Amino acid sequence: MDTQSLTLALGDATHAGRTFDVMPIAGEEPVLQVIVSGAEETPVYITVTDTQILCLAYLFDEQELAPERQNELHENMLRISVPMPLSSLGKTGQHYVVYGALSPASGTSEIMQELVTLAENAIDLLQTFEDYLA
Amino acid sequence: MRTVLKKILTAMRGGVNELGEAVVDGQGNRILEQELRDSEHELKQAKQELASLMAEAASLARQIRTEQDSATKREDDARKAIAAGQEDLAREVAERIVGHERRASELTQTRELLQQRIVGLKDRVQKAEKQLADYRRELQVVKTNERVLRTTAQIDTNINSQQSSLSTAKETLERIRERQAREEDRQTASATLEKELTGADLDEKLKAAGIDGEQDAIDNVLARLKDSPAQ
Repeated sequence: MDTQSLTLALGDATHAGRTFDVMPIAGEEPVLQVIVSGAEETPVYITVTDTQILCLAYLFDEQELAPERQNELHENMLRISVPMPLSSLGKTGQHYVVYGALSPASGTSEIMQELVTLAENAIDLLQTFEDYLA
Repeated sequence: MRTVLKKILTAMRGGVNELGEAVVDGQGNRILEQELRDSEHELKQAKQELASLMAEAASLARQIRTEQDSATKREDDARKAIAAGQEDLAREVAERIVGHERRASELTQTRELLQQRIVGLKDRVQKAEKQLADYRRELQVVKTNERVLRTTAQIDTNINSQQSSLSTAKETLERIRERQAREEDRQTASATLEKELTGADLDEKLKAAGIDGEQDAIDNVLARLKDSPAQ
């Protein structure tokens, strides 16, 4: 599965009543932005490597957080990460992200499931951790 | 692996990596890739050597068995010669038996040495395989890390060029709340419409005014029953 075939597959697919708005992100790396209907506020970004399909959504940036509550937030993020379906929490650069990795052999249906779950999880997490924003 | 992970963490904490520069620089990556290739090469060689040693050991085992079989067979011959009083012939056969036994013993020694080398080589193959798996894992971590950094840098650049800036979490939350409110309104509206269509809203209003069609019907039936008591 590469980003091109993914663009074609997601373009007119529906999964659990959701549709997908796919847009390639210009640049050297093959990156797609996918907006899942009903969760438009949290776009999911997909990149495909030799070993995995990586999907991630941004939550918040470090500078948006109340510094004195950051440790507590980290603790809660670690705890919530384990039971959360199909997604894990992480940090890249200044961005806190929720992400999921799939095998490159995954089919469209697994990828769509991941996208829907990730977009919904991102919304739930934002609302859950809203209190930690400065 | 530990070294690679520590390097990544150090670089990240230092914040040098926000723009997605490679943590383990290109040179480091090339060294890792070279080590990977060397390990692969060594593994291939060791496996080839192992295969030929094992074939040799099998062939030796076959030769030993042949010598032993021949010795056993000649023992029968020697017994027959003794029984026939052919002492000289028996001695000649005995010499042959000694030859077979000696060769069997020499071959067995060679085979034991070979067996030792095989054990050593198997150990080397196992170690090389483990080393190879380690290098592959390290390289995967380094490459994935770089990919994630380059990808997020690309996303940020792109979003920044489209909007004035990346929207903040608070703005996103606001938009989520607006959508959720819209969805709720829509649900309330469709529930209201449903009630109007089925007349349920009218029944509710009547009930609220103390006019209950259901209750009236029950009262009527009771009154009728009382008018015609059981005989």
